[in-house]
Amino acid sequence: MQIFINNQEIEIFRGATVMDAILSFSKHEYHLVKTGQTIVLDRFGKLTEPDGELTEGQVLILKKINP
Amino acid sequence: MIKKLIFFLAGIVLIFSLHTSGQQESLPESTEIIILHVNDMHSKIDNLSKFAYLADSLRKIHPIVFLVAAGDNFTGNPVVDMVEDKGYPMIDLMNRCGFNVSAIGNHEFDMGQELFNYRMDQATFPFISCNIKVTGGILKQPKPFIAMNAGKDISIAFLGAIELNDQGIPDTHPSRVAGLKFSDPVKKMKEFAWLKDKYTLLIGLTHLGVETDVILADSMPQLDLIIGGHSHTLIDKPLIHNGVQIVQAGANLKYVGKTTLVVDKGRLIERRDEIIPMTDLTRVNPQVQALIDKYNQNEAFSQVVGVAETPIDGYDEIGSLMTDAIKNRLKVDFAFQNQGGIRIQHIPNGNITMKDVYQLDPFNNQIVIYRMNLAEITSLICNAFNIEKSIDLQVSGLNYTITTNNEGKCGSVEIIDNLGKPFNPAKEYTVAVNSYMAASYRFNHRDTGTTASQTSVQVLIDYLSDVKKVNYSGVKRTFLNGEK
Repeated sequence: MQIFINNQEIEIFRGATVMDAILSFSKHEYHLVKTGQTIVLDRFGKLTEPDGELTEGQVLILKKINP
Repeated sequence: MIKKLIFFLAGIVLIFSLHTSGQQESLPESTEIIILHVNDMHSKIDNLSKFAYLADSLRKIHPIVFLVAAGDNFTGNPVVDMVEDKGYPMIDLMNRCGFNVSAIGNHEFDMGQELFNYRMDQATFPFISCNIKVTGGILKQPKPFIAMNAGKDISIAFLGAIELNDQGIPDTHPSRVAGLKFSDPVKKMKEFAWLKDKYTLLIGLTHLGVETDVILADSMPQLDLIIGGHSHTLIDKPLIHNGVQIVQAGANLKYVGKTTLVVDKGRLIERRDEIIPMTDLTRVNPQVQALIDKYNQNEAFSQVVGVAETPIDGYDEIGSLMTDAIKNRLKVDFAFQNQGGIRIQHIPNGNITMKDVYQLDPFNNQIVIYRMNLAEITSLICNAFNIEKSIDLQVSGLNYTITTNNEGKCGSVEIIDNLGKPFNPAKEYTVAVNSYMAASYRFNHRDTGTTASQTSVQVLIDYLSDVKKVNYSGVKRTFLNGEK
């Protein structure tokens, strides 16, 4: 399954969650999302829960939260 | 005199008109319909008492309140998923809350079709989906939609649909949806556009993810509303496509969505949606809370699931137990477990409880299955070794020996079966790893991999319950630089 994180194509297994994909994308970003320093938005700018399930071609945007 | 008569008549007309307009104000013709919607609750039962209180409170002031779930009610909490009557606590609590309908989500199949049939029978509300056809499976054919009255001369049809992956099935293990035929959700839903002519309102209750919900909205303007799930999206500001509003309330019952639909003379004239964080609600329904407390104090965690005949010590022995569980339960050729995922170094001889297993494997990782040849398996073993510069992967189904090069990195890997014979390098094997490894380890694989929709901890509990007694004394399957 292919999805996109910050415009970068990611190949991930079928049935993966948002967090699985972010871990595959970057361990650093994974840590930031896990600790609440970064949030995950979809292509419509809506907040996506980290355990959300992915669909083919889905777009995720990682956004840092201002302290 | 004539002037006086005109003023008198005008006064009567004015009084009469004020009187009748006052009557119109006290007798509104529009009807407010409240829909409380949740999605992807994933067995998270703790907030259901707050949800029940909110529903009870709304019912006191609104005559028409519906409670709906957009699928994936199950999977995600051991007090619901790992008890003897798998999934029943969720159904019991949803019944007590007064749910009216649920879409079928992919995780509804995690417990298997037979058990899901029982849960559907126990539910006082229907599970719906229009794109599932039972051709040879044992699932009871779900209804595509359900229609309900919503006040005088107003009716609502809820039309369900479930997501499909690129293999044409929902994201669950293929064996759990055997004998079921799935069709494209958007195309299938469009076949039900006629519902809009028969019922006042047509609502899509979908488990498709927000991206597919948008495609659905763009191609089916007959829908008055889409209540979605699957992608765990928090839609806190209106998302409207092609005139169709799409709503979704996060996941895990951290939020509840409250949609208000106003119907006047058979037409929808207003719709509002608000997201209510559960942390904003303080009151609970005491009966539902008592049930939640009962389910949370489940003694199943002290339940003995197996017996260790000898102590099970270290990564080799414990890793061998964990991977044997995966290999045997999921019927794969090989299973691998990373050492970082083994959180206990010693299991004493005697009883192994469910709590012990959760302490051993607390991460809730899914199992992912790949089809791989020997060269790809070698790349998995080597890359895992090179991260830590030591043996990382425990295994079932094979033994391996790594020989390092002069940089201390993995130079070559000898892979043999339990009798010491080599495997066929041209053959493809089924290989299971956990989702952490699947996402973070770099290794060659042509197959994208597919989740088995089971966690490693679930698999281990089921395995121990099957075999009853285990003995891993002296078991070692991974070797470095010629060690025996």
